[in-house]
Amino acid sequence: MTIGVKKVSLTRTTRDQIFLPAILEGLLTTARHFFKNTLTPGMGDIDTIRYGEPEVDVKDYYPDRFRGVHRLMYREDGSVRCVACMCCSTVCPARCIYIHAEDRRDDQEKAPASFVIDELKCVVCGFCVEACPCDAIRMDTKEHMVPTETREEAVLGKIDLMKRGGPSVAVQGGAAPNYREVAPKRDPRFEHDPQ
Amino acid sequence: MANRTSDTIPPTASPPPPAPLPTADAPKRHSVGLALKKVDTNPPKAPNLAAEPVEGEEPVTLTIDGEQVTVRKGTNVLEAAKLLGEDICHFCYHRGLSIAASCRQCLVEIDKMGKLQPSCQVEVRPDMVVQTKSPAVLKARQEMLEFTLKNHPIDCPICDKAGECKLQRHYMDHDHSLTRVDVPKIRKPKHKDIGREIVLDAERCILCSRCIRFCEEIPGTSELTMTFRGDHETLDIADGHRLDNAYSINTVDVCPVGALTAKDFRFAIRTWELQATDTTCPGCATGCAVELHTKHEQAYRLVPREDPAVNGHWMCDEGRYTYKELEPSHRVQYAEIEGHQVPLFDAVALTAQRLQGKKVAFVFASTATTEANQALAELCELVGGERFILGRPIADGDDILRDPDKNPNSRGAKLAAGDVSKHEAELALELAGRAYEAVVFLDDEGELSDVVLQGLSGLTSICFADRRTKLADACRIVLPAASWAEILGTYINRNGLLRVTRPAWRPEGDRKHRADLIGDILRQLGRDNVATARERTRLLAEAHGHQELLTMLAEPKKMRPTLLRWANTRG
Ligand code: SF4
Ligand code: SF4
Ligand code: SF4
Ligand code: SF4
Ligand code: FES
Repeated sequence: MTIGVKKVSLTRTTRDQIFLPAILEGLLTTARHFFKNTLTPGMGDIDTIRYGEPEVDVKDYYPDRFRGVHRLMYREDGSVRCVACMCCSTVCPARCIYIHAEDRRDDQEKAPASFVIDELKCVVCGFCVEACPCDAIRMDTKEHMVPTETREEAVLGKIDLMKRGGPSVAVQGGAAPNYREVAPKRDPRFEHDPQ
Repeated sequence: MANRTSDTIPPTASPPPPAPLPTADAPKRHSVGLALKKVDTNPPKAPNLAAEPVEGEEPVTLTIDGEQVTVRKGTNVLEAAKLLGEDICHFCYHRGLSIAASCRQCLVEIDKMGKLQPSCQVEVRPDMVVQTKSPAVLKARQEMLEFTLKNHPIDCPICDKAGECKLQRHYMDHDHSLTRVDVPKIRKPKHKDIGREIVLDAERCILCSRCIRFCEEIPGTSELTMTFRGDHETLDIADGHRLDNAYSINTVDVCPVGALTAKDFRFAIRTWELQATDTTCPGCATGCAVELHTKHEQAYRLVPREDPAVNGHWMCDEGRYTYKELEPSHRVQYAEIEGHQVPLFDAVALTAQRLQGKKVAFVFASTATTEANQALAELCELVGGERFILGRPIADGDDILRDPDKNPNSRGAKLAAGDVSKHEAELALELAGRAYEAVVFLDDEGELSDVVLQGLSGLTSICFADRRTKLADACRIVLPAASWAEILGTYINRNGLLRVTRPAWRPEGDRKHRADLIGDILRQLGRDNVATARERTRLLAEAHGHQELLTMLAEPKKMRPTLLRWANTRG
């Protein structure tokens, strides 16, 4: 269960620094789509979703990586997978995740006593999902945050977030209370022969 | 109450062989008529020598990674490399503890020695040639780390040490490879309650034995031990013992990983969110050098900082809890008259007016800074009145660090107040006898009985309070003072050394340094040329020759807290 860190080198060419070619390229793409989708008979790529009609579920049209309202996953025993490591609240650029940790007094040790996301502040960047080491927080609900009448309704607590959640069996953070007894899998990326 | 009179402020209460103050020119301005004694209390001596060459001893010159370095004789290669800025990765070595050389993480290549050598254990010799970054060393380092990680649970997400863990850091710096282990890890007790303050997670322990050596060498209580052998070797408490000594939380600090965690700090906050401020523990007259860890104007813990002259590497458990009095909900933010919030200026003006031409009792505080006590002395001279000194009552002490005098600044208060022999009991008596029309308390701390507190109601009582205490609640005029975590101030500890507290955050509301509040009152009373708290600090620093404080005053940026994320590992 070691961590692999991919280092990406960012080199900027003169072409990147001038900006203009990139802008023109972008404009060209837009223009291409514009003409393709207006001039071709049958309207090109555009798919008209009949939004609101009973047999149509917009979720079917959303890509898998669509980022919707957050949800919190749970373990097989029904407890929340989140271990209050604060990775998500640390990485969150909007600072809209508030967690208080508590001692679970079992081998999982730590759990959030409260877990609050202010969906009004959230910029839907998905960093929290990337940062979570335990597959506890996900944004794959394909639900938009529905407008609410008061601000308070848009502040989701642990219960609201877990209502949308489902079971997850990722190992780190605990597939089951005794996940440590499972032999770790040899990392497939490991190519070097120890001999 | 009565028999505590003579104990409360005890420059003489701790066993004191009289000796001159360490800084020769320090007390000149105050020393007349004062019976100040140097209490000869030495901090626990670190068994390992620092590498800086000292005068009068023959130094040793050796070569490390092709660079010549001159170090003190008797130091080890690891310390010598530190002088060159090369921090050789290590687990079991700690400067304040004896050497075990059990982790083998610090291996280096030394010419004319066949095998790799643990740099923590090898003493420097002249003309030694050391390689700390050769391929063989790097490979050994990586393999040792892999070995250490074999049974390590790597539950960093739930581990309190994450962010300041040596194992995490060394892994990122030196190993950084994928796991080769495909057998179950050995299970050991998790979250075992081993003492008043400590929880042990034996799985995370890397068996470096630092905590065992600490308990043997500093408090000398030897509660910890290793049990079983090989893969199953486990740290545990010795039969019939619990880790209950007065210095137990230091084991958490020396532990390079998250095996030992303090119950108080456990899960309170992640370490990378904390800001660290170098300051002084206000828990007793020793004045241990500590770091105050804070976030958003709230304190989370105190950890010791190395100071060979005062506390070595350690501090006591009691002192760790002094941060509790910084609790935000208890703070006094604004001035109050008769329980009503008023602008600070009004309260200051009223105080000045009420003090003029009255019989006043001035109560100095051995819990407040020297600057504040000096300012009060000035006010006392101007207005005229009787002097008292108040502080926390005497309690347990030992000859390691803890002093029976639980006030950080008994000497400073005594220096500023002059020869004052009146303490709580006299104050209680005289207040009950209606000897004064007004009384000024410099601090909100003090062991006044309820009778006295009720007795305060009839007269003008003024208190410089940073938090709500019984005393502050009983006073008519409450002036909002900044607490020790918000000011630059100095204490004078039992050995006569100047100890500095630094601000961890800006005081909220109208809170101000006590010396500045008194300065405002003095100005109201028509005195100009009143010294600010900063100026008083500068004078004290000059008198004591405290170079560090002087540079800080010249460059206030140096005082800023550091984000712990950039402060490397601890332990
Ligand atoms: S999606 Fe981005 S902004 Fe929203 S909670 Fe997650 S990290 Fe924060
Ligand atoms: S990153 Fe995941 S496990 Fe950590 S606090 Fe956030 S949701 Fe919980
Ligand atoms: S001791 Fe260090 S490496 Fe081990 S779980 Fe804790 S933070 Fe992670
Ligand atoms: S508990 Fe910590 S200090 Fe003690 S032996 Fe284990 S790793 Fe070392
Ligand atoms: S630090 Fe040298 S062997 Fe552990």
